[in-house]
Formats: sequence, structure tokens, C-alpha cells
Amino acid sequence: MIDVQDLGFRYGENRVFRDVSFSLAAGKIAAILGPNGRGKTTLLKSVVGLLKPDTGTASLGGRLGYVAQRAEIAFAYKVIDIVVMGRAAHVGMFRAPGPKDYQHARNALSLLGLSGFAEQHFNRLSGGERQLVMIARALASECQVLILDEPASALDFRNQDLVLSTLRRLAEDLGLAILMTTHFPQHAAHIADYALLLQSADDAQWGSSEEMLSEEKLELLFGLPVEKVQVQRGDKTHSGILPLFS
Amino acid sequence: MKTISLAKLLLLAITGTVVSGTNADPITFTDQRDRIVTLDSEAARVVTIPIPAASMFMSVDGGTEKLVGMHPLSKTAIKDQILETFYPDAMSIPSDIAGPGFNFSPNVEALLSLEPDLVFQWGHLNDDIIDPLLNAGLNVALIKIGQEAFTRRWLTMMGAVTGNEEKAAKMISWRDEVQAEIKAETDKIPAAEKPRVLYFMNYLSKLRVAGGKSYNNFYINLAGGQNAASELGMFAEVGPEQVIAWDPEVILLNGFEKKLSPKDVYDNPLFADLSAVKNRRVYKMPLGGYRWDPPNQESPLTWLWLSMVLHPERFDWDLPRRMDENYKTMYGQGVSADNVKKILRFSMNKDAANYEIFSPDKQ
Amino acid sequence: MQQTLVAGVRESRWRPALFIVLVIVLVLSALLSLAIGRFAVPVSHVAGILASALLPMEPWWTPVEARVVELIRIPRVLMAGLAGAGLAVAGSALQGIFRNPLVGPQIIGVSSGAAFGGALAILLSESRYLLIGLAFACGMLAMVIVYSISRQQGRASILMLVLAGIVTSAFFSALVSVTKFVADPDDKLPAIVFWLMGSFASASYEKVWLIAVPVIIGSAVIYLMRFQINVLSLGDEEAHALGVKVERTRWIALTAIALISSAVVAAAGVIGWVGLVIPHFARMLTGPDHKVLIPAAMLIGASYLIHVDNVARTAIAAEIPVGIITALIGAPIFGLLLRRTANKGWTSE
Repeated sequence: MIDVQDLGFRYGENRVFRDVSFSLAAGKIAAILGPNGRGKTTLLKSVVGLLKPDTGTASLGGRLGYVAQRAEIAFAYKVIDIVVMGRAAHVGMFRAPGPKDYQHARNALSLLGLSGFAEQHFNRLSGGERQLVMIARALASECQVLILDEPASALDFRNQDLVLSTLRRLAEDLGLAILMTTHFPQHAAHIADYALLLQSADDAQWGSSEEMLSEEKLELLFGLPVEKVQVQRGDKTHSGILPLFS
Repeated sequence: MKTISLAKLLLLAITGTVVSGTNADPITFTDQRDRIVTLDSEAARVVTIPIPAASMFMSVDGGTEKLVGMHPLSKTAIKDQILETFYPDAMSIPSDIAGPGFNFSPNVEALLSLEPDLVFQWGHLNDDIIDPLLNAGLNVALIKIGQEAFTRRWLTMMGAVTGNEEKAAKMISWRDEVQAEIKAETDKIPAAEKPRVLYFMNYLSKLRVAGGKSYNNFYINLAGGQNAASELGMFAEVGPEQVIAWDPEVILLNGFEKKLSPKDVYDNPLFADLSAVKNRRVYKMPLGGYRWDPPNQESPLTWLWLSMVLHPERFDWDLPRRMDENYKTMYGQGVSADNVKKILRFSMNKDAANYEIFSPDKQ
Repeated sequence: MQQTLVAGVRESRWRPALFIVLVIVLVLSALLSLAIGRFAVPVSHVAGILASALLPMEPWWTPVEARVVELIRIPRVLMAGLAGAGLAVAGSALQGIFRNPLVGPQIIGVSSGAAFGGALAILLSESRYLLIGLAFACGMLAMVIVYSISRQQGRASILMLVLAGIVTSAFFSALVSVTKFVADPDDKLPAIVFWLMGSFASASYEKVWLIAVPVIIGSAVIYLMRFQINVLSLGDEEAHALGVKVERTRWIALTAIALISSAVVAAAGVIGWVGLVIPHFARMLTGPDHKVLIPAAMLIGASYLIHVDNVARTAIAAEIPVGIITALIGAPIFGLLLRRTANKGWTSE
């Protein structure tokens, strides 16, 4: 669904990344990992088409849903108004969304368990709820590819869990191809099938999560030793990636 | 204040040294900003920046020789009018000293090149148009407009600096005489018989009328009318509905809007029910040596004309004869019957009620 | 959550009632305006004059009264209403497009550009159509200039927008001064000066058409684009990611806004603050969804300017310039809004 070939980008003389290639099938989740400022968002925007790469191509095999990092809006829209805006591509320049569009919006909300929030003001929601509304808006657009910028990084534990498990469910149930950025390897390890490590401007590595999220690679990536840990709770095994702070 | 007193000192110093070298006595007078102006002798080269001052100066001096510079709009007011007939030379007097438009900032270098003995400038606008003249060491007389007394002071000053004190005094006493002459009659008119008069300072782009503090208000009262808009101050914009509410019996149209004619009022459907329109008493103000609506050297003629317009049954001045006489006094030349018709705007006013009383052909 | 659901239902029930109230207010405002003025016309006579347009009847009023109501008051009320409605719609759309509740046609440069275009047209000819054409062209040009100055790397911050607006307005004001400088002082200069001051005093049916056609067309385009404007108000990136052709959509809307604003300027001069304050007020009643905001702002703007003009034409014998009254009311309100937003930020309405 997502096919990226030799993608490169630079701001003037400053190279951000180069030779990035990967492809992601429907129903799979990939995470782009890197420390702050390494160019995760830039890469995402190049894939989405918001930025024009200087080399290579990125093609999406289906309708795109994009959830940006900043989830604040200037006006006090209600949740249903926000979600129905996901229908923008289906509604013409001089038309307003019809009953069918509102149905899509309501379905998307109910899929994410947000039906009760429809008439609430978006800006009064919690960070996790806002993130879910943005995902609902993407779903309302009938997207097949979902690209998210740091969807869970600014959230508390419960909301991180809510957003991540929702993404996992969407990939499995709806067959969405999901690409997200994160600076928490834990999040990638939890839901991603693949990971892309932005080690440096010249070195981007793509591979399965197990292969990419090794202690050595992560230490190289973040400049801090990490240790993978496993915790047995009941009959469930939880794995974690623990940073060894100085 | 400081610049003025400094300039005064400077002038005194100059006159003190030069006075012995000339055969005339120094001339000292107070201008309308209460500054003392001293010339070492009669002015032979005068520049006027206020627009109406040029034609007034010509009337006091009876010619154009001493006027070496004027505002470009002074020239526009003379062009194609009676003064150009009297003084064709006026058209070659430099007018690059200020302007364009209603801009009174002097072009000091152009002014200095004219070597003026005295410059007339507005005193009621702002000091930025005055200071450059003083800084350049020019003699400046500051004048104001808007009241009958102000206009008389202009005449006095202009007479004093050109050695025409007698003529200026004569022009002032003419004003006194005519004013008294008309007032004696109009005082007898009961208030109820004084028509409501409305003067339009602007009509074409906006309706602006003269209020109770305007000069127009003064001569409307003098001529036996009452200003319909006396509740306003100087000049103010009004809506058409207010005009209808006032229902003026006589309408006076300004001389500034060249294209404006009584026809514009007669043809306006909004004003079809005005008394002035129904009785065809809409008049374009005449234009002689200057426009007759603002204060000027010919104001007594304005008053006589208006008193006849307002009360044709009471007044029977021989206006063409008076024009002829006084033009001879002021400008040294009389006016023909055709000139009178042109000045009184017969082409625009001929269909107005009673306008034939002004005809120079009737005798 | 249960509570907010109920509140939501209540809001949608309340909405038709709101519009009924706004329409009634507008109709009453217009009727009141027709009944007051410097020339006294009894209300029963006004009613008769209005009714006689529909039914044949024996007049019990005088021809003067009929003329005052038909030829002076009706066009004047129509012009004031159309101008108020147009400015409010233009302001609502601008605030949505620039994601900022504090933007108006004046800040974005349209008014000063249109003022120059109009002054230039007066200088060149006496055609009203040239006047509105040049006002539109220069209003549009000024908007393009403000937009391109303020835009950096695809973003226009409100500060840059305001600064670019100040720069552009200053430039076009200087151009207006140039036209005044070279204008013939006998007729062109007063025409320019008075036109710039703006007023409904010279209202006529011809001017009503002059303002009605562009305002109706422009407002219709903006209303049709209400959903796209909603999407644009989320920000360019999001709108783009949602599949909206951002630049094209924005320019169609801005063209409609320039059309409305320049028509109002052409017919009635520069009337500030209406397009800034009314949309904000309407948003407090309806919320930000342009589907309801635009018609509400339109109705409120029309009533508002009709009442402002009532004061302008009846308070004293002289006409008070409408722009003075709107500024006296609008500037303090704008100041309050600035303080409020400075305290709370844009996002927490």
C-alpha cells in the first residue's frame, strides 16, 4: 500500500535523510524511530506529499488519511463537525456534506467508541480523545493508508494504550496500512510490524520490528544504553524497553 | 511665538539700517495673527498664496504690475473670466510658488527667485506653511478668512503696503454704505416674510450646506433671508431628507463646482417638492473678479444681487450700473452688457424666477 | 457526557429559533428605519406608502411623504443593509480562511486597495462601473500583496498578516494621496474626498443595484463554499491532507471577499470594523461552523449597519459619517477581543 523508493530530502544544503526505501502492505503497521530533530516529521510529510522530496518517490496505493502532530484548532468546532471534514475530498468545492457524509462520520466515531462525543466541543477533549477524533476523521475519509505523526507521544499511559491498541485494531480489522512516527521504541515494539531507524542523515535502516529494535541499534540511535525487559503478569507476557539513564 | 518675535527683531534691525537709504517711510502694520510687519518702503513685488488674495490685490492696486506671484488656483479663478479681460497680463504671472490643488506649502526657492518684498499667506491653517517663509527671511503678512471684518483688514493691509490707503478706505466705506443701505430696508421686513435660504457649498458629489457660523449666513441675513441651515456650524454634509425637511424657498448654488447648474436641482426627483424648485428659485452664484459666494472685494455686489433675488418686489437696485461704476473704481475698466450677463450667469439662471430684473438690456 | 449530549440536542433545537429571531430583528429594523428621519412622516403614512406598492389604494399621505419614503429611505435602508450583510459575510469568511477571529477586510488590505482604485476611477472618468471595476481590481491586488508578504514557507502568522496589512494599507493610502494631489480641485478633488469619507446619504436605486449584485454573488459563492472554508480553518496542511485543493479554494473565496468588500467601498466608501466585529459576535451565538455562522453574520450585519445609519442620518441635522460611528463602537470591542484572546489564546473560545 505504501511504496517508498530512494526518498531523499534536504533544506538548502542541509541533508535530512537520503536513500530511504521501504514498502508496507495493507494491514501492517510501521514505525519511524529517531531522536528529536532527526527528521521523522520531515520524512512523514515527504511521504504524504506536504513536502517535495529532492530525490526518489513515495506512492500510496489507496486513499490517504493523515493525522498531524498538533491537534489544536483555532475555532470551537464540535467533534462531529471536525470528523465530517474528513469527507472534504468526497464533497465538491461548492457543496456541503450530505446525510451520507454524516453517516460516514458517525460510523467512524462509533468505530472508535466516540459516539457520545459527537456534540462536544473538540477543544474541551483530553489529548487522547482529540487524537482519536483525528483518527476518526481520517477513517471518515474512507482511507486505506493511515499516516500519523507522533500519535501517542504526548499522552499519559492510559491514553497511550488507548491510541496504540486502537491503531492495532484498525490495521487488523480494516486492513489499513499504518505508518507512524514515534520517539518511544516501546510504542513501536508494542504494535509495529516494521521499523525504520533514522540513525543519521545518510543512514536509514528498514526491517522487521524484532530485527530493528535490538539493544545495540537502539543504543546507537538514541545515544543511551537500553535494556529489553519482560514481565510476566498472569498468563500474559509484557515486554518493555528500559532506558538506562545516567 | 518665539519665531515671530525673532523675525520681528530681525525686520526691525533691517529697517533700521536701510530706512535712511530710501526716499519712502517704513511701513508698519499688524497682520491677522497680531504680528507686527514692517516694510522699509512700499512693496513693489508682492506674492499672494491664499487663493482669493490675488484678485483682491489686483483690485486694490488697480493692476497686476506689483503682483509677481500667485497660487495656481488663483489663476484658475481668473482664467476665462472678467479679470482676464481686464488684465491679460495676469496669465503670465508665475504660479509655481505653491500647489498643486489646495496645497499652500510654499515652494521657497521659487518664491525667493521672485525677490518679493512681501508675501501674503494664510494664518489660520498651520504654521508649517508659514515657518519656511520666515526662515527664508521673507516679509510675511498672515491673513484669515470667514468674516466680513477679516476681509476689510485684507483691504487695509493691501492698501497700506502698496500706497493705496485711500482706495482701500474707499472700498471699505463702499462696503459700509451698501451694508447700511440694504440693512435699512431688510430690518423693516417682518421675520415671516424672510424666505428660508439654503446655500450648497457642494452639491454634485455630496450635499454640503453653509451653517450659522459661515460668511454665507451673514449675507443671507443681511439680504433679508434666513438661513435654513442656521442650526449647523460652518459647512456640513446633510442628507436629502434633511433638505426636504427644511424646505428652502431659495437655493443658492456655489461657484466652485463649475458644472453645477440650477438644472441639476430642478431635475432631481428627490427635490421636486421643494418650494425653491416649484417656484424656480434656484440660483447659481455669480462669478466676477472673483466668486461671489466667499468674502471678496466685490461682496457688496453679492449683497445687492441677493437682496433682489430674495425680495424682487422690495429692491430695485440698478445692479448693472453699480457693477460698471465699481468695476471702474476697482479695476479701472467698466463692464459691457454681455459681461454683466456672463458674470451674473444668465446662461444658467435665465429661467429662474424674476431673473429678468437683472438684465442690463431692460432699459 | 450525558449532559453534553443533552446540550447538543438543545443547541440544534435552539438554532431555528435563533434564525427566526434574527430575521424578525432585521425586518423590524428595516421598518423602523423607514419610519424615522429628519422629515417627519407619520407611521400610518409610511405604512400606507409601503402597502400601496402592493395594493391599489387612495393615498392619505402627501406626494412629498411618498417621495421621501420611496426615493430616499428605501434605497438608503437597502444600501445600509446590503453593505452590513456583505461586510459581515466577507469578514466571517476571512476569519475562517486565515484561522483567526481578529481578521477583517481592512486588516487584509482590501479596503485601502479598493479606496485607491475608486479614487483613481473618479480621476479618470465619471463612470460608476469603472469605479467598481477599479475598486475591485485594486482591492484584489492589495490582498495579493498582503498575502504574499505575510506568507513564509507556506504559513501566514497573524502578526505577519497584520504587519503586511499595515505596510500595504500605508502604501495604498499614499497612492490615494497622490490621486488627491493631482486631482482638479474644483470638481475631482471634492468628489474623491467625499467619496472616501463614505456615506449612505447619496443612496439611490442605481447605487442599490451597484452594491446588491456583487454582494449577492459574492455571498452566494461564500455560502456555497461554507464547508471548504470550515476545512481551511483547520490549517493549510490539514486541509491539504484532507484532499482540499488549498490554494485554489482559498483564492476563489478571497476573490468573492474582494468582490463584496470593493462593491461596498465603491458604493458607500470605507466602512471599517463591521467585518471584524460582527462575525465575532455572530460566532458567539452560533459557533464556528460556517454553515450557520455565515447566514447569522449576514442578518446581524444588516441590522447593525441599518441602525448605525439611523443614528448617522437622524441624530443631528448634519450627516455623521457612518465610518466614525462604526469605529467608535468597533474599536473598543476589538480592544476587548484582543485582551481576551491575549489572555486565553485563540483556541479557547
